[in-house]
Amino acid sequence: MSSFTVPRTVSRTAVALFVLWAASFALSYAHLGAASLLVALAIAAAKAALVVMFFMELVSESLSMKLTLAAAGGLLAILVGLMAADVATREPPPLLPPTREPAAHEPAPAEPGVPSR
Amino acid sequence: MTAARSVEHAEHFESLERQAHAARLGMWVFLATEVLLFGAAFALFLTYQVQFSHAFRAGVAHNTKVLGSVNTAVLLLSSTLVACAVHALRRGDAKLAARLVGGTIALGLTFLVIKGIEYGKHFDEGIYPGGVGHYFTLHPIRGLAAFWTLYFGMTALHALHVTIGAGVLGVLLHAIVRGRLGRETAYRLEVGAIYWHLVDVIWIFLWPLFYLA
Amino acid sequence: MTTLPLTHAAPPGAPRSAAHASYLDTETTLRSWLLTTDHKRIGVLYLGTLLATMALGGFFAMAIRLEHLTPDPTVMSAMTYNRMFTLHGVIMVWLFLIPSIPSAFGNFMLPMMLGAKDVAFPRLNLLSWYVFIVGAVLVLLSTFVGGIDTGWTFYPPYSALSPTAVPLALLGVFIVGFSTILTGLNFIVTTHTMRAEGVGWMQMPLFVWSIYATSIIQVLATPVLGMVLLFVVVDNALGWGLFDPSRGGDPVLYQHLFWFYSHPAVYIMVLPGMGVVSEVVATYARKNPYSYKAIAYSSLGIAFVGFLTWGHHMFVAGMSTFDAGAFGVLSMLVAVFSAIKVFNWTWTLKRGAIALKTPLLYIFAFLFLFVFGGMTGVATAAMSLDVHWHDTYFIVAHFHFIMVGGTLTAFLAGLHYWFPKMTGRLYPERLGMLSAALVFAGFFVTFFPQFLLGNAGMPRRYFNYPAEFQVLHVVSTVGSWVLAVGLMSTAIYFLWSLRWGPEAGPNPWGSRSFEWRTASPPPKHNFTRTPPFEIGPYDYTQPLPDEAP
Repeated sequence: MSSFTVPRTVSRTAVALFVLWAASFALSYAHLGAASLLVALAIAAAKAALVVMFFMELVSESLSMKLTLAAAGGLLAILVGLMAADVATREPPPLLPPTREPAAHEPAPAEPGVPSR
Repeated sequence: MTAARSVEHAEHFESLERQAHAARLGMWVFLATEVLLFGAAFALFLTYQVQFSHAFRAGVAHNTKVLGSVNTAVLLLSSTLVACAVHALRRGDAKLAARLVGGTIALGLTFLVIKGIEYGKHFDEGIYPGGVGHYFTLHPIRGLAAFWTLYFGMTALHALHVTIGAGVLGVLLHAIVRGRLGRETAYRLEVGAIYWHLVDVIWIFLWPLFYLA
Repeated sequence: MTTLPLTHAAPPGAPRSAAHASYLDTETTLRSWLLTTDHKRIGVLYLGTLLATMALGGFFAMAIRLEHLTPDPTVMSAMTYNRMFTLHGVIMVWLFLIPSIPSAFGNFMLPMMLGAKDVAFPRLNLLSWYVFIVGAVLVLLSTFVGGIDTGWTFYPPYSALSPTAVPLALLGVFIVGFSTILTGLNFIVTTHTMRAEGVGWMQMPLFVWSIYATSIIQVLATPVLGMVLLFVVVDNALGWGLFDPSRGGDPVLYQHLFWFYSHPAVYIMVLPGMGVVSEVVATYARKNPYSYKAIAYSSLGIAFVGFLTWGHHMFVAGMSTFDAGAFGVLSMLVAVFSAIKVFNWTWTLKRGAIALKTPLLYIFAFLFLFVFGGMTGVATAAMSLDVHWHDTYFIVAHFHFIMVGGTLTAFLAGLHYWFPKMTGRLYPERLGMLSAALVFAGFFVTFFPQFLLGNAGMPRRYFNYPAEFQVLHVVSTVGSWVLAVGLMSTAIYFLWSLRWGPEAGPNPWGSRSFEWRTASPPPKHNFTRTPPFEIGPYDYTQPLPDEAP
């Protein structure tokens, strides 16, 4: 019937998404150590931004929608930021609580529960 | 066909445009709540990650990266299809829109099947939420239980969202097939589609947390 | 009795006239009420439900106070006492205070204040009431299957281990949360899309601003509570143990997420109250608010800053000192925005043409109690002082001054102020004033001694106490009786007025706000014709066209 062509924004966004997907997958094999989570999350943020802007068409939506999403994102940053600040700056506990079922072969706490810094 | 019918707006709205705007804004506000809902779980994950980074890396290493990554691709593709469906319906091509929405739902179900296979695999290995199962007695790492509890909690909640999203799209598909959704009322499909996209966005963040890093 | 001293006029579309049947008269079957999508009827449904839950919560409060009449067991066992204070908290917070003003008066008034026919999503609005009922029933059901003894804060690890009906009650709260989200969503979209011609953002009545700010908090904070409660539910019911220290869990993280919701929840409770204050003050002073913009924007300011302060509940919970310091400073910021409002209201009252009616009397109570409670709040935001007062009666007194002294008095002010609009009848003014005085006196006598008790070291939630605290406890209990008498007499004369109150006419207070520019009770679609919205809601300089002689 009608000749439907995929709109350019959709096709370009899709291509970009799959490129980023492949990049993220490949990078997970490179040993980046502690940075690997940050890199993966940064790529995820880029992908999410593409989906939100062009699939969900936030670019052409009115200001109220943009503010709604910005408020949600901002609050999430506050929540994660102040929680992480607590955990990262906490004094190590004087002693660790005992594990519930101490297996016979378990070495004394294999991984100390103190923040690894 | 659909263009012939003029579409009435609800009695308490001034115009159909206003009504469409209200529906979209309502969905965006709802999505904001979803962001915070999953955001709370993310905050828990990240703070536990800071405290038990060794255990969390062990958990990620044990997870099946290939299945998780295939599932990501499935959802990305489904998002692309539903975005095309919205464009098709806006041009009045209801038939194509119906097919594309049908494809989206099929991909959503594929996602759920793969997720189910993964869960089965975990149970076989003796990994249950709450640090229950023989896997945890073999690997007594402090914080490992928290990783798997969060994994099960967050992915199950996400799977629930996929199910709901597929249900919403199913209702919309039915309306398209019946001819109740056309060019003027394409905003309803839009509202359903942005919900589906959000489910995709959430998975985009879950994927690196549980499978990559 | 005196007849409507402030009304000017021949009401257009007199109430109960056959031409425009009111929203109460169009259909009267039970079915038409249960399936209604009319925001006014939904508001009335909420109001009825919430008054019932308030009575229940109040009953538990009275029982707790009675128990404390003597230092030893008085009327109940320790376990019953634990269940009572938990239920009192859960019911009052989630089943009364949080939905109180937004769901009842917000539903009724907000669309009218915007000149709209209804909220944006009327069916969703009805759904939110049913969801609320389901959640409330689950919470109440938990009383019959073992109760719940964790305190309203549900702190793990105890809440994960408690043998009482924790999962049921928490699911109930989770579902009630859904209902508040739906209501908030509806109000936000309504404010954005349903404003009538001539009602711009800066022409909205201030009550709308406060409800709008409240809705933002509801929508953005409630899901966080939902998530963390779900984890506690599975912890308790299925033993997932995410917050269980013996499995590496960190209970402090629960407190972070819980207070990320529950501190802003204080503003969910008090911001709508502030909206009522703004309306009542402007109406009875017959003046433009001293600064409309300052009051409007400070609502948004409180909504935002309210999200930055949750850590002040956790100073002694094992949070890092750095974070605690940051939270302490941020907490004090809230006082700035609250003070902006308080100064604005008092300046509005100054040199106003004051009409001293019951609602205004409640507002005076609000101003005194809210400032008192707020200042003690600033004091407790200082970490060093909080360590002394944490988990004592000082905190109990502080937050009751804000929640009861602030929200409940504003709720009662709103109930008196809008009762004529909702029912078309007036309440007896002198009885109203007498009851307001009783409520204020009863409240103050109940809770002021608790500041002293807490400062002397009486911990909260304790069943027994040393004999030297008895005098203050007895004073507090007697105060609670006075408060109860005041509330009961209020209930009685309202019930009486429903039937026998004199007819109110469309605008008994001579207000300029938009909801008064139609009949009382309003017709089904709120306005029979488009009212003159060009004249602002606080413009007392010219008569309304309808009121011109």
